[in-house]
Amino acid sequence: MKLWGQMLWGHLSGLRGRQGGIWGWACSTWQSHQPQAGPLSASGLVKHWTAVFEKRGIPEARESSEYIVAHVLGAKTFQSLRPVLWTQPLTAQQLQGIQELCNLRLQRMPVQYILGEWDFQGLTLKMAPPVFIPRPETEELIEWILEEVAQRPQAVGAQGSPLILEVGCGSGAIALSLLSQLPESQVIAVDKKEAAISLTRENAQRLRLQGRIQTILLDVTIEDSWTHLLPWGPMDLIVSNPPYVFHKDMEQLAPEIRSYEDSVALDGGEKGMDIISHILTLAPQLLKASGSIFLEVDPRHPELVSSWLQSRPDLCLGLVAVRKDFCGRHVAGPKDHGGGKLLTSWQPGNGESKEGSGDNSYLPEAPSEHITFN
Amino acid sequence: MPLMSTWGWFRSPELLARICTKTQGFGLQEKLALLSPGMAAFMVQIAGKKDFPALLPLNENELEEQSVKGHGPGGQATNKTNNCVVLKHVPSGIVVKCHQTRSVNQNRKLARKILQEKVDVFYNGEKSAVYKERQEAQKKKQERKKRAKETLEKKKVLKELWESSKNVSEERTADSDRMYCTAYKE
Repeated sequence: MKLWGQMLWGHLSGLRGRQGGIWGWACSTWQSHQPQAGPLSASGLVKHWTAVFEKRGIPEARESSEYIVAHVLGAKTFQSLRPVLWTQPLTAQQLQGIQELCNLRLQRMPVQYILGEWDFQGLTLKMAPPVFIPRPETEELIEWILEEVAQRPQAVGAQGSPLILEVGCGSGAIALSLLSQLPESQVIAVDKKEAAISLTRENAQRLRLQGRIQTILLDVTIEDSWTHLLPWGPMDLIVSNPPYVFHKDMEQLAPEIRSYEDSVALDGGEKGMDIISHILTLAPQLLKASGSIFLEVDPRHPELVSSWLQSRPDLCLGLVAVRKDFCGRHVAGPKDHGGGKLLTSWQPGNGESKEGSGDNSYLPEAPSEHITFN
Repeated sequence: MPLMSTWGWFRSPELLARICTKTQGFGLQEKLALLSPGMAAFMVQIAGKKDFPALLPLNENELEEQSVKGHGPGGQATNKTNNCVVLKHVPSGIVVKCHQTRSVNQNRKLARKILQEKVDVFYNGEKSAVYKERQEAQKKKQERKKRAKETLEKKKVLKELWESSKNVSEERTADSDRMYCTAYKE
């Protein structure tokens, strides 16, 4: 029996295609006992749940089922799983786990809350409703800040060990990714919600960054609340992804967002400017003369901010740069990537479409922008 | 694709860059003219000067990045989890799709790294650093296998020697055993 097994193994490891004779037969018999991507394999389950989600109108049907199945198998993405695991049958425990998580998705829970974690700038962060889930666009904000700090440290007031204030830290995504990539930096992270402060603290501890971050429960819209931050000294940088959704747009948000994420983290008031204007008001009191503010905002904001600053010359702030993130406008086109998704193409830096086919119509409006002041 | 016919030619990074920028807006005919046979010798000379050429750097202007996004606004107003990055190197037509992580930023960086290696192999063929690294790794693996096999053989020989020396000493002590051994030989 052992000899048979050895010969079979030796044959199969060098196998490129069918070979004739008895070994060919032995090989095919062995293979016929292997469920090639059967219904109870990872691939089979992804296929099954994709269909279920599509039928129930769940957005990102394939992506959702892929992330859930990969997660239960211990991987972050389906593509990163060892291919051999795609076709092996899953255990009863794994099947049950997938079932439970997929049921949550049927209730429109965001994938990040279902998995209880998500990645941002190379860090894995715990996610918990209703704390705001970091968006991929915000990773661009981090990249921009890192570039500025590296290239022109004097422009951001940072000399070796920048002191950074983050307003509205949420899960700690911005604060912790800056800490991890600027080893000498220190962060003061504030948020008006206890759940956010708690989650930021937990993520800081998980990443062993708790020694360089100070979390403070604080509502910057309350008059003079920022004075509590004075003892920590003038800051080099103020950074924020503040609530900037226009109030009238709130009801159009997807159920994933409306039902599970804290609306306070999103609603920026009538023109989405409420928190932004408060940050700009407190900034001169807390920033070093050479410091900078980095914000993520709605595309309609740079103009609004510009005119708002003009009405407040006492603040001595100037809008220095506006940078579109890499997400271009969404275009309709003949290309369809399964699941009915639309394809967008852009060139990093200017948001312009490079799609050659004439069928695409391009609207030059970026979904979010990053602005810097000093 | 016309450039495919030149696969295997050795090109220096400088020439490659020059060709690419000049051919922007050129038709296919012009591209072929630039890569005339007369240039081959020149190219080989330059390539031959280095044993391990550094990986060809990617020019962002020659890259086209795609992502799957839905309708409507982005940023806070949406929660998209599809962070797959598709990156195309326009001059060579090589496309890389990366969905290794859940961070779109990481996927973009990884896609560029993978694309850089593929482009390097595409233009430098056997002279590419990537190809050479793989060859080195394969060679080391083969050497290790060979050594392991040799060790196994040595152990086998030693074991046989041990066994046969044992048999000899047993023959001297047990008559019945000796008779069995004799019978077996016959």
